[in-house]
Amino acid sequence: MPDPSSPKPPEKAPSPAPPALVNLVIDGRPVQAKPGTNLIEAANQVGIDIPFFCYHRRLSIAANCRMCLVEVSNAPKLVPACQTLVSEGLKVTTGSPRVLESHRSVEQMLLYNHPVDCAICDQAGECKLQDYYMEFDHRPYQPAQPRVLRQKRKPIGPFVMLDQERCVLCTRCVRFMREIAQQPQLGVFARGNHEYIDTFPGQPLDSKYAGNTIDLCPVGALLSRDFRFRARAFFLSTTPSICAGCARGCNTFVDHYDGVAYRYRPRENDAVNQAWMCDDGRLTRRRLVEDRLTRPLVGRAGSRVQGRSLAEALSAAAARLKPLSGQAGLAALVSPQLSVEDLLAVCLLAREGLGLSALYEGGLADGDEDALLIRADKNPNRLGLRWVARGFGLALRPFESLLGDVSAGRVTALYAAGVEVPKEPQVVAAALGPIGLLVIQAVRHGPLADAADISLPAAPHSEYDGTFVNFEGRPQRFQRAYPEWDEARPHWRLAEALLRELGFAWRWPSARELFAELSPRVPELASFDWNDLGPGGRREPGVAARPAAADARPPGYRERAVAQPGQGKQAGGSRG
Amino acid sequence: MADEPKPRAIAAYRAPESRPENLAEYSYVPEALRGLAVSTGHFLRNLLFSRDPSPDVIHRRGPNQVTTVQYPEEIAPYPPGYRSMHRLVPRPDGKPRCVACYLCATICPAQCIYIEAGEYEGDPIEKYPKRFEIDELRCIVCGFCVEACPKDAIRMDTGTHTKPTYDRPAIIYGIDRLLKGPAVSHQTDVWFKRETSAPPEEAHAHPIPRSPGDEPPG
Repeated sequence: MPDPSSPKPPEKAPSPAPPALVNLVIDGRPVQAKPGTNLIEAANQVGIDIPFFCYHRRLSIAANCRMCLVEVSNAPKLVPACQTLVSEGLKVTTGSPRVLESHRSVEQMLLYNHPVDCAICDQAGECKLQDYYMEFDHRPYQPAQPRVLRQKRKPIGPFVMLDQERCVLCTRCVRFMREIAQQPQLGVFARGNHEYIDTFPGQPLDSKYAGNTIDLCPVGALLSRDFRFRARAFFLSTTPSICAGCARGCNTFVDHYDGVAYRYRPRENDAVNQAWMCDDGRLTRRRLVEDRLTRPLVGRAGSRVQGRSLAEALSAAAARLKPLSGQAGLAALVSPQLSVEDLLAVCLLAREGLGLSALYEGGLADGDEDALLIRADKNPNRLGLRWVARGFGLALRPFESLLGDVSAGRVTALYAAGVEVPKEPQVVAAALGPIGLLVIQAVRHGPLADAADISLPAAPHSEYDGTFVNFEGRPQRFQRAYPEWDEARPHWRLAEALLRELGFAWRWPSARELFAELSPRVPELASFDWNDLGPGGRREPGVAARPAAADARPPGYRERAVAQPGQGKQAGGSRG
Repeated sequence: MADEPKPRAIAAYRAPESRPENLAEYSYVPEALRGLAVSTGHFLRNLLFSRDPSPDVIHRRGPNQVTTVQYPEEIAPYPPGYRSMHRLVPRPDGKPRCVACYLCATICPAQCIYIEAGEYEGDPIEKYPKRFEIDELRCIVCGFCVEACPKDAIRMDTGTHTKPTYDRPAIIYGIDRLLKGPAVSHQTDVWFKRETSAPPEEAHAHPIPRSPGDEPPG
């Protein structure tokens, strides 16, 4: 597997089999492309955008939208750029009056039956039909006959809402379900002017990958039921992140506004998830916003002390943990939902602050698995936990032994970083009832947060910089999208504060310094460059992660800005 | 040009050069008395005759010439086109025309509009504002929201301004206070075409348009 962080070889390096490049001219600019490249990709190399609806790099070529027609020197008529491959000496013209008139006509034809209900359409702002209308058409609606009315609101699956009137019949969704998801649940029905996309009778679109059809849809025909009417696309800002739904570690964008994450979208990474992600992963967005623990809870549910600040809760936790440090009854539970930086700090706390030699390994229970993306391990960083624990000389014990040790009285006090457990949380909370002291760091409310003596509010991974190690052993960086909610702080920041309360001098201004200081203890992390943000992971230098209103660019353009190749390194050092 | 002399500074008012002709003009007494007579006449006329209470002071009738408007009992009407307090325009069925597209909130320079979208179940327009609030204290009455609205759902034609209050929360107007005034519908409104999101029955009565010669015999 190629290492994505390795630098590209210099241009003049002798390669064993140099590919013969094809020379062609696009709009007067010389282009060299590999044989087999189509004209859209070749034009893209020199920054010329050819408009299209139905083309997608990872799907078969349909050439049915006719939006990408261009003029070429070896054909009398216009040809579709998506289907035409580069050939030696070809001259391509993308902006001639003939081509522009073709774009305009296609746009006009697609708008004959389009309801133009942009005001209630979630796609408005990232819609190709809108963009190309503003770019090429600019004509009023001239109906030849009344619009064909179709089904406007059809929930075709648990995740997808279909609006047949808005559809431009590019069949990207149909091709995706057939070719990538290999579950052909969508089809094109009827003929001619009355064609529409639909599911087959009695078969809902219940594929785990149905959400990708929403991203593929160039218009607002397929929309997410999770995102429906929650936010306008033009308000959202985008931050590169990693999905925490399973051990695959799909590269994602978090779309957020005003400190609230509204959706995940897949980010292209050929080595991990290509351009896709699963619906379960998309729905883990809810963990970032629902039932958040944003203030510390001090005291168990019955006898809770109200109004304690985070600093007071931290010193209370340290005061109760300090006499137990190094004692036999103290144990720590660590979740593989934490990032590598969290785990470095937590393992340091367990090793040096609490004097432990073993950790209990938490994490969500295994689930279903498939051949495309979904992994059985529903935790994003189990491998990272094993690496870090080994690096700190801490043994890992399975979660099941924790409950046995509690009931046998061998564990009388527990510090838990992350409360994701493989069993029902109510059952675990009841089993941990007899324990003398339970200090937890939790992102969300739950039975364990209620059962704990002190619950410290932790931040989810959209609110800080960190790293997850996926099941292949590939460390991948995620970035802070927006500030922490209220008093929630990253796990590593809570562990650092506890260490300081326990009398240690550790202090890290940011996760970068933490990683630089502690990662040498973990040999597996030696080759990982923390500043490498991965494909499309560039961050504007000097731009802090702020509420999104400041970034008024539409999502498509924000994406284009971060996708500049070769700029990941220089952006890394700008902020922590 | 350089040869021309510079123009002298011209005074705004030049004193008359003629001098008073007689003692009466020298003393100013007759002129002062004449002025007093005019004032006394106005005083007595406004004192003895009643005032036309019409707030339209230009067109008041009667000998009384006082132009005072006794606000708030008498309220001078705002001129036509004046940007007065907002209203949410109702549809004929009483629901707001607004579809919660957020364009007004997007363009609002004072950021005084807060919208939360909801979904109608049996309505051809699926989206509606669950909450639509305008902070009238922050509003700068620029009228951009009216211009941005694609649905003619917000207008500034109430002819009133925001009522003053001692209570800050009371000046955040919700749908209950904004939705008022005459209902409006346009020819292009969706509810003239269909009643639900499903296509009307007649839409698929003849799925393929036929030419006149294709009619089946009989």
